[in-house]
Amino acid sequence: MGEPLVVAKLIDTTTCIGCKACEVACQEWNDQPFNLGQFDGTYQTQPDLSHDFWNLIKFNEVSGEPDQLAWHMAKYQCMHCRDPGCLRACPAPGAIFIRDNGIVDFDQSKCIGCGYCITGCPFDVPRRHPESKKVFKCTLCSDRTAVGLEPACIKACPTNCLTFGRREDLLDQAEQRAARLRGEGHSQAGVYNPPGVGGTNVMYVLADASQPESYGLPRDPKIPLSVWLWKGPLKWIGNTLLLGGILAVLLHYLRFGPKRFDDEESRERES
Amino acid sequence: MENNQQKIVRFDLFERVVHWTVAISFVYVALSGLALWSPKLYWLAGLLGGGETIRAWHPWAGVAFSVALLLMFSRWASQMMLDADDRRWLIKSYKYAIHDEEGLPRAGRFNAGQKMMFWLQSICCLILLLSGLVLWFPESMSRGLRLTAILAHPLAALFSLGLIIIHLYMATIATPGSLRSMVHGWVTPGWAKTHHWKWFRKISDN
Repeated sequence: MGEPLVVAKLIDTTTCIGCKACEVACQEWNDQPFNLGQFDGTYQTQPDLSHDFWNLIKFNEVSGEPDQLAWHMAKYQCMHCRDPGCLRACPAPGAIFIRDNGIVDFDQSKCIGCGYCITGCPFDVPRRHPESKKVFKCTLCSDRTAVGLEPACIKACPTNCLTFGRREDLLDQAEQRAARLRGEGHSQAGVYNPPGVGGTNVMYVLADASQPESYGLPRDPKIPLSVWLWKGPLKWIGNTLLLGGILAVLLHYLRFGPKRFDDEESRERES
Repeated sequence: MENNQQKIVRFDLFERVVHWTVAISFVYVALSGLALWSPKLYWLAGLLGGGETIRAWHPWAGVAFSVALLLMFSRWASQMMLDADDRRWLIKSYKYAIHDEEGLPRAGRFNAGQKMMFWLQSICCLILLLSGLVLWFPESMSRGLRLTAILAHPLAALFSLGLIIIHLYMATIATPGSLRSMVHGWVTPGWAKTHHWKWFRKISDN
């Protein structure tokens, strides 16, 4: 049947009005509570993601021209990387997996709660449950997409700032939108689909793609070098060292044998 | 010289209890650590009660190991200083390995190889403890610390495991009489004379 259909979510930050309908829809569909937080002087619902809050609209205040304030609002959730750092770091087989449609999903029944995925993720997305230690994040509504529905956040978005569909189609759409924005005077408009993690299944159109940090997005996210070393070359060095070490001492024993000592007793009780 | 009668105390009860506490906790952290090290070794988790169980117990076993090693360190550190003979021994240690001990300096209570084992394992333990604390509480640590720890922890663990292969080999089949000294605490005069001549001389003089 050819390539499996890879799904994606496109976030056009230029049409986000910060209504937070997507946050509510996410909480409702995933049957999560709303936790009262502390008012910290911003319009954000919460300061950060948590194990039971997977989708946050960040209200990034950016000062541009004198006396001008801009909101670089950005939806913050799992990016569903094509090459996920969380998966590389995970020791428990099956706890993190990539579905045929490209969704990076966690299976909490297999998660052991080590938290390595938190360190492996270049976007700082996975969050542990304080008691069970199991890790949770956006599933791109894999339970909805599996039966042909769009994710809850997309269903709820009133401005069509969120779009769901085939990854290739959305990439085209994103590039067209960015080109149009450039034509309208946003000279730095562009698409955020970072190549360091093989691209992401959650992509953004940014009015100013030259400063992804102003949207709370890392400039050039990559699989962290130490995670790559740990799960790549170190594994082979380690295997060679341990197996080689065991073989070496056994060979040594066959070639040189035990160290004898001069004692009457040694003849009777060698070991 | 009466056969089988003469026993020289090599390790007192404190040293043996501490050593076996270190050894047992090491075996646990090593097996559970290998399970967490690679999905291919994850089956080890099943032997120890499952992934969640080892995730919860591995750090505590690491703490037990560190405390026991600290006791061992405080008892032995002063005896593990390398002297001039030890340095010459280390240069010629290959002769020790091939059982050609002609011209090799005599050893005290611990030979230079054992001393190096002691210092290297102590350094590994310190790295493992510090990086382990970072991995234990990832939410409280900076990303830079976590990324360092996630590499430092397996590196130190692999180095420590490599050393332990040598230690296990030397202390069991390669040097008959060694294991008994750590289990029952004593050695024969012949053993002491052969392997730790300077130590034998010293305790014979007393």
